[in-house]
Amino acid sequence: MNKFHLLQFRALLKREMLEHRNLFIVAPVILAGLVLLFSVWAMTRMGQDLISVGIEYMALLFNGLSPLEMAPIFMFLAIPFIGVFYLCAIIYLMNSLYQDRQELSILFWQSMPVSNLNTVLSKLVTIGIVAPLFYIATMFVLYVIAMLWLTILGWSYDIEVAGLGYMFLAAVASLIFVYLSIITTTLWLLPTIGWVILFSAFAKRTPIMWAIGVFILVGFLEEFIFGTQFLGNFVESRSTPTQYLILDFQDVVERLINYDMLFGILVGSILLAGAVYMRRFID
Amino acid sequence: MKNIILKNRYTLLVTVLTVYIVVLVIEGSITGRQAQVLNFENPFFDLNIKDLDGLRERRA
Repeated sequence: MNKFHLLQFRALLKREMLEHRNLFIVAPVILAGLVLLFSVWAMTRMGQDLISVGIEYMALLFNGLSPLEMAPIFMFLAIPFIGVFYLCAIIYLMNSLYQDRQELSILFWQSMPVSNLNTVLSKLVTIGIVAPLFYIATMFVLYVIAMLWLTILGWSYDIEVAGLGYMFLAAVASLIFVYLSIITTTLWLLPTIGWVILFSAFAKRTPIMWAIGVFILVGFLEEFIFGTQFLGNFVESRSTPTQYLILDFQDVVERLINYDMLFGILVGSILLAGAVYMRRFID
Repeated sequence: MKNIILKNRYTLLVTVLTVYIVVLVIEGSITGRQAQVLNFENPFFDLNIKDLDGLRERRA
């Protein structure tokens, strides 16, 4: 891959982010605003004594503890952001290739020196690597604001706040784990992503109905033709979050290099290849 | 062959889904992946829809 291809791919990623900034930039910012607003409201409802005791307890609890060991606890704080990200990711994947055909912008992009393979790959990289960065950045800003707020409150109540520094480090380390988890999830769920992108490239209307309907139909056909239920079992065997969550740096290699992960990537690649060829057919 | 597969969107979709399901069935057969419709294990009760006879026996 030469410099031209890298620039070309970068431009494709930039296009994805600009066209879907509501899903990947505005949505986390609004969510962070709501979390902040709720926190302020909750603090105003609490008495001054309760706030000072709470800050003192947190500062004592985290003082001297290893941030990496405490990081998994802080991953719970990211759950609303992860939930919103997954929702936005499904909307994005379902609409991305479908919208290109609806708006006829596919004709413009196919007139450019951009291959269908690069276009589909750019969707995958956007969802797995680029878009999560904006969510992580938003959470980081939220943590910084929360940290400053707690420190100022601690000083105003004359409390020793050194332990809050360890708490902040643990929160930041948790963001690294969240980002790695999202990358692992993208690879783990590649068959699902491939399925959704295939129907986004295929359907003339309502791609979500096609994706769900054909999945059920294929499941019945498998039972009817082969007398097996491997499709249902395959999906079921990949739906436990502990299979792709990363709570420690040692988990990374274990999660990425195993038989189920590699087989999932192979199966997902078949569907993604189908989506690439499907881009030939324009309504 | 390529012309038949790429004749229209429907032939391509059928081909992709056929390859997908055949790969899944072959892998499932080789690795002995057990087919389970719903097996919901938890501390309170066991539910396996494939084992309805067992469920009836336990309830009797």
